[in-house]
Amino acid sequence: MKILVCVKQIPDMASKFKPNADGTWFNEADLAFRMNEYDEYAVEEAVKLREKDPASELVVLSVGPARVVEALKKALAMGCDRAVHVQDDNVFRKDPWQIASLIAAYAKKENFDIVFTGMQSQDRGSAQIGPLLAGMLGFSCVTTVIGFSLEGRTATVRRELEGGAKGIVKAALPAVITCQLGLNTPRYPTLPNIMKAKKKEIAAFKAEELSAEAALSAAEKFYAPVKKGTGLVLEGGDAASLAGKLIDVLKEKTTVLRG
Amino acid sequence: MEATREIYWNVGHGVILPMYGFFAAAAGAMAYGFYKKLAVYRSGKALDRVSGPADRLARAVSWALAQLKVLRNPFPGLFHAGFFWGFLLLTAGTTLIMAQEDFTARLFGLRFLQGDFYRGFSFVLDIAGLAAIVALLVFFVRRFLYRPKGLDTAADDCLAHALLFFILVTGFVIEGARMAVTELHANPELARFSPVGLLVAGLLPGDPSALEGLHKTLWWTHMFAAFGFIAMIPFSKLRHLFLIPVNYFFSDTGPLGGLKTIDLADESAQTFGAEKVNELSWKDIYDSDACVSCKRCQDECPAYATGKTLSPMKVIQDLRGSAFAGPETDIIAAVTDKALWACTTCRSCQTTCPAAVEHVPKIIEMRRNLTLMKGEFAGEEGRAAVSSLEVNKNPFGLPNASRADWAAGLGVKPLSEDPSADILYFAGCYASFDRRNKAVAAKFMEICAKAGVKAGLLGKEEQCCGEPARKLGNEYLYQELAGENIKAFAKYGVKKIVTACPHCRHTLGVHYRDLGFEGNVVHYTVFIKELIDSGKLKLKAEPFEFTYHDSCYMSRYSGITEEPRAVLAAAGGSLAEMERHGDRNFCCGGGGGRALLEEKEGTKISVERVKMARATGRPVVVSNCPFCLTMLEDGIKTADCETALKARDLAEVVAERLA
Repeated sequence: MKILVCVKQIPDMASKFKPNADGTWFNEADLAFRMNEYDEYAVEEAVKLREKDPASELVVLSVGPARVVEALKKALAMGCDRAVHVQDDNVFRKDPWQIASLIAAYAKKENFDIVFTGMQSQDRGSAQIGPLLAGMLGFSCVTTVIGFSLEGRTATVRRELEGGAKGIVKAALPAVITCQLGLNTPRYPTLPNIMKAKKKEIAAFKAEELSAEAALSAAEKFYAPVKKGTGLVLEGGDAASLAGKLIDVLKEKTTVLRG
Repeated sequence: MEATREIYWNVGHGVILPMYGFFAAAAGAMAYGFYKKLAVYRSGKALDRVSGPADRLARAVSWALAQLKVLRNPFPGLFHAGFFWGFLLLTAGTTLIMAQEDFTARLFGLRFLQGDFYRGFSFVLDIAGLAAIVALLVFFVRRFLYRPKGLDTAADDCLAHALLFFILVTGFVIEGARMAVTELHANPELARFSPVGLLVAGLLPGDPSALEGLHKTLWWTHMFAAFGFIAMIPFSKLRHLFLIPVNYFFSDTGPLGGLKTIDLADESAQTFGAEKVNELSWKDIYDSDACVSCKRCQDECPAYATGKTLSPMKVIQDLRGSAFAGPETDIIAAVTDKALWACTTCRSCQTTCPAAVEHVPKIIEMRRNLTLMKGEFAGEEGRAAVSSLEVNKNPFGLPNASRADWAAGLGVKPLSEDPSADILYFAGCYASFDRRNKAVAAKFMEICAKAGVKAGLLGKEEQCCGEPARKLGNEYLYQELAGENIKAFAKYGVKKIVTACPHCRHTLGVHYRDLGFEGNVVHYTVFIKELIDSGKLKLKAEPFEFTYHDSCYMSRYSGITEEPRAVLAAAGGSLAEMERHGDRNFCCGGGGGRALLEEKEGTKISVERVKMARATGRPVVVSNCPFCLTMLEDGIKTADCETALKARDLAEVVAERLA
């Protein structure tokens, strides 16, 4: 079994975002980066599968500038066998089609049976890489997965659907699985594994060597939403009438009271 | 009449040979018992606790003879000391008799137990025996009649009590019987120097042959009891007679609150922290055997006092049980992770332990194993805090680039903009990000400005000092954070650091030394005291009434209890102490990384502390640690006493009184 897990490094979501010079993405200065949360579930699920079969191999791949090596190192410390760094300082200018093309170009070099990745990234949130990659590789694809098991060459997965409904899907390998919160609790790398990870291979490829696909879409503008004054102070009257007014507001302007 | 007595009276010198035979057997049994223990101690890892032996020996002897550690608690410490001194004199007396009768008299015809020396000898030994009996009676009442909560009594406690009592009482009856026959009428002048013996002699029947029979029988039983006592030392809690003074010799001579720094460059290391007995040091195992379950640690433990799983005494006893069960025994299973995570590392246990047991480093070693080998956390909030420390370099998950935002408009600059500062103010995470503590930091900046001290900041180059991570067992994360801070200190050639937080102070000033940083690091309280003493800072005293809460990392980790009190007195404060203050202070609950964790078990430590502050009747509790201030305010809110008690920081009080 050959497993690929694709991870993205994203800025911490608590950061203060400012537009970059050309106003199409955020400025990276002073930002702290971490592994995309959904990709952590992907790594954990891939490592769990890897551990069941000592003969299998697990490769972690990330596209991006030099900083993404930190995310690769974390995945290696969590239990991936080796890493692939697709070097691209301007990955933020690429659209999902181009990024999926890069990954597909690499994946075609090796015979992967299964690919795990996050259902979407926390920063761009397009949720397209998994399905696009599956299409390019000709793999079956299941998205927003919250449960995974494998019998032979058939994966049985639980999917999270709209409104909290769940669905169970069987997919034949090779397949791309995109992972959602609730699938697992990502492990914290142990110190011996962090030490071991330092010696694991991180192979580097230049993005331009892998794919020269043109973009199908382009970011036009990156800006913060205009602040709207939404505060409301209820005044006057006794507690009961104030409570009544509050309930009216909650009913009219929010969904919290809709069953 | 001459002042002496016939040694071996009534039993004759023929007893000497069998007596030494039995003594050899008893001493042999004792030696064998301790020898068997050696293998258990040796199952631990190597640790140097013998270098500087002369100082160690002097400390061991003085601590033991002065009963220094035991007397920290006057009751029952004074009675323990009384018993110890009494029994020590009796042993010395018996040894003198042996020295004279079996050696100097036989070899050189020299007898020194006579005349005034013998009179003094008789008197001192009588009083010593009496003191020992009185102490033993007090112990009996305490252990068997009015037993304090938490004092466990095992079979060997009962046996030791009975045996010691028997030895002391038979000793006096033997003396009384001898005196009744040989001294009472023949030499009443001398008999006065044995007041207890005299009293007993008066109570015995007058028939000399009955007295001689009684004397002979008791002489033998006394001897067997004494030898039995010697033989049972290693097999009972009496082992502490030897193990504790020796443990004083072995105790840590490094700085207060030091921890072993793991060498992360050592690639041969397979395991980290301690999960099994053989992953502890030999000293840890020895410590567990030196523990007599006196429960003083448990009595002072804030976690135990608020109904948590942790009892420091139980931790040590669990380690002892594990150690004697075999080197591969799982100590974390015995101690339980719940108990381990409950510790605030307040160091009360270790400070109060009369056996010099080192509790906190053992707890950290086991936490290290949980964290570094198993990737475990005290809870989801602990996982989140660690993740934030890794990514954002602060436990709150706030952007580290905004670390110095609190200082905007205060005229204090990062060293990157102006490296010419007198001191580096290491604000730490709470003073940088927490609303309440940001205000305190601003007050300290006011104080510095008034005193003409130019403070600089590291700004976004400052990271968490790593203390919470380290105390939660995450040595790897600690060293990463510490390494970045040390690099920044080196970049700007930082020599003097003033910290907002006692935890930062201790970590930067003590723990960073192992990582190569040797700068001078003081807490701002000490710095303010220096400014006042040197005349750079003048305060106008305005009267106020308060109680003072010592931070554990000020008092027990740094020995700083006088400075804050002096500063607050100079500010016009009138202090009413809580019962638990100084190096006996009761933790706020925030140490050991606990400030970042939820307190789900038992009641809140902070509320307990707030109750103690309330008991002083003072309207203000002053502290000087961001964790303490946060926890105390939380405790005040939870206890719903916001009108009766306010928590304030020392810097706020001082800043209001700048002259």
